[in-house]
Amino acid sequence: MSMIEATGICKTYRRGSEDVCALRGVDLAIEPGEFVSIVGPSGAGKTALMNILGCLDTPTSGTLTIDGVQVTGKKEAELVKIRRDHVGFVFQQFFLIPTLTVEENIGLPLIFSAKPYDTSKINAILSRVGLSHRAGHLPSELSGGEMQRVAIGRALVNNPRILLADEPTGNLDSVTANGIYTVFEELHRQGLTLIVVTHNMELAKRAGRVITIRDGCVDRACGHQLP
Amino acid sequence: MNLLSLAIKNLQRRKTRTLLTIAGVAIAVAILFALLSFSAGYERQLNSEMENLGFNLLAVPKGCPYEATTLILHGGVIPKYLTNDDLARTRVTPGVAVAAPMLLQQVIKDGAPHIVYGIDPDAMIPLKPAWKVNGRFFNASETNVMVIGSTLAEKENLKPGSVIPFGPAQEAYTIVGVLNPTASEDDNFHFLPLADAQRLFKKEGLITAIAVKAEDVKDIPAIAAELEKVPDIQVVTMAQVTGTIMNLVGSARTLLFSVIVIAIVISAAGITNTLLMSVNERTREIGMMKAIGASGSHIALLLLAETVIITALGGILGIAAALAGSGIIEAFVRGIVPYAPPGSFVSFDPVLVAGCLAFSVGLGLLCGLYPALKSARLSPMEAIRGEWE
Repeated sequence: MSMIEATGICKTYRRGSEDVCALRGVDLAIEPGEFVSIVGPSGAGKTALMNILGCLDTPTSGTLTIDGVQVTGKKEAELVKIRRDHVGFVFQQFFLIPTLTVEENIGLPLIFSAKPYDTSKINAILSRVGLSHRAGHLPSELSGGEMQRVAIGRALVNNPRILLADEPTGNLDSVTANGIYTVFEELHRQGLTLIVVTHNMELAKRAGRVITIRDGCVDRACGHQLP
Repeated sequence: MNLLSLAIKNLQRRKTRTLLTIAGVAIAVAILFALLSFSAGYERQLNSEMENLGFNLLAVPKGCPYEATTLILHGGVIPKYLTNDDLARTRVTPGVAVAAPMLLQQVIKDGAPHIVYGIDPDAMIPLKPAWKVNGRFFNASETNVMVIGSTLAEKENLKPGSVIPFGPAQEAYTIVGVLNPTASEDDNFHFLPLADAQRLFKKEGLITAIAVKAEDVKDIPAIAAELEKVPDIQVVTMAQVTGTIMNLVGSARTLLFSVIVIAIVISAAGITNTLLMSVNERTREIGMMKAIGASGSHIALLLLAETVIITALGGILGIAAALAGSGIIEAFVRGIVPYAPPGSFVSFDPVLVAGCLAFSVGLGLLCGLYPALKSARLSPMEAIRGEWE
């Protein structure tokens, strides 16, 4: 059974009096433990697809199954649970809370879940993302790469089976971006399913599979499979 | 960490804005608490003063309005008089237990007015069980003796045995007693035997008012009706006096409550503005929280926790400030209301404190409801894109 299975996903947005079609019948299957890069030109529909895969948005039509759970047609309250329990999100802009320490930012999802605020679990994640020495620091005291590691740690704290990252290295220099991909590779080795949107083809090729989105469709001709 | 600690940390982001909002709430609650406390305290002190008067009715010269009657109780001098005959008729009225005559006069000493009460000690002392005298009381037939109130004695440095020049002719008067503090206007007065006061001020046979105590409070209407038949007498009950005073302060109270309403509206606008600005700045962050598992109710609770913290702190500070500054508030209020009974108006009333705090928090919840619900209903996508409006 695929970890994510999308069939005929379409998404149309209303902009003023005009309908804009962001996705036009995307079919996609991502297997458990797979590391997938999604690439494509600006406006191709990469972020629209990521938002639907992460249950942040709903498709206009089509069906989506995540970890065996049919999510299309579900109400927002049920989608909250899926986001909380199955999916971790990493954004380009980090979205760290400036008055919380690194440790508290990583633990933030726990206060929205029924799970206890477990500091030993947070410490383990700090270690996984290489930030144990920064636990008590505020985001303003961190470099861009460290901030993105905190965001990755925050995405991992609820033990998701899928990690979605939308342009996670978009605000980082190439050395730091490489470091972030090293973290992703490590997570992949540990069995996490990763889907990463990027503009950087070099980094994209470090994933097991590269999916190209063009004009709202998966460009089959551009499929790239590493040996 | 939990939602509450997250709310506290969120408020620390814009410390100046948070502190200004708390100050706005504190000012509104301080005004609310002080004025409600004043209102309750004023009525309490007024009723207490009326109870301490020891009598149920006041017989005053006909044509003396209630407002003037209230002045008599505070030592005001009116230019109309009753006579000893009126006193005699009052004393024989059925149901009258005690009828105590009073002649009120004023003397100016060192530029300050001094109130002089001519009283019949045999009639007045039973009406004033709270009166305890250091020294002795005079008897009705004595001359050139007086008893004075404690505040006056302290101010003028007088004690039993002191002799002072007194009255229009500056006759020598001996202080035979000083009243122990009564927490009433009596603490400021000179008390002379009635006949001696009538002689001193050349008001022989004249009386300003007669304080009447009924044998039974049920008899008050009947006594009043009977006394009204005496051509010179107008009867004022203490309930009428209290009502008149409350009417007199009514307009001042309306003004004060208008101030409360304005302060609350300004404060509410401040709280709402702070929350809207704060939420507007954090829209994308709210989107992130929804993406990592926060529900709409988590977001609403977080924002309401922030507003409750602001308003609870503002409420506590406002009440503390009102209690600390109660002296200034009382001085201000005493300056604008026409009749202020003695004693403190602003006091620590747990019910009022709890009420003001509850009001403050309730106001916060009301102001926070719109931003909280709006944020809660934002879709994660809209929020991440920063689409607040």
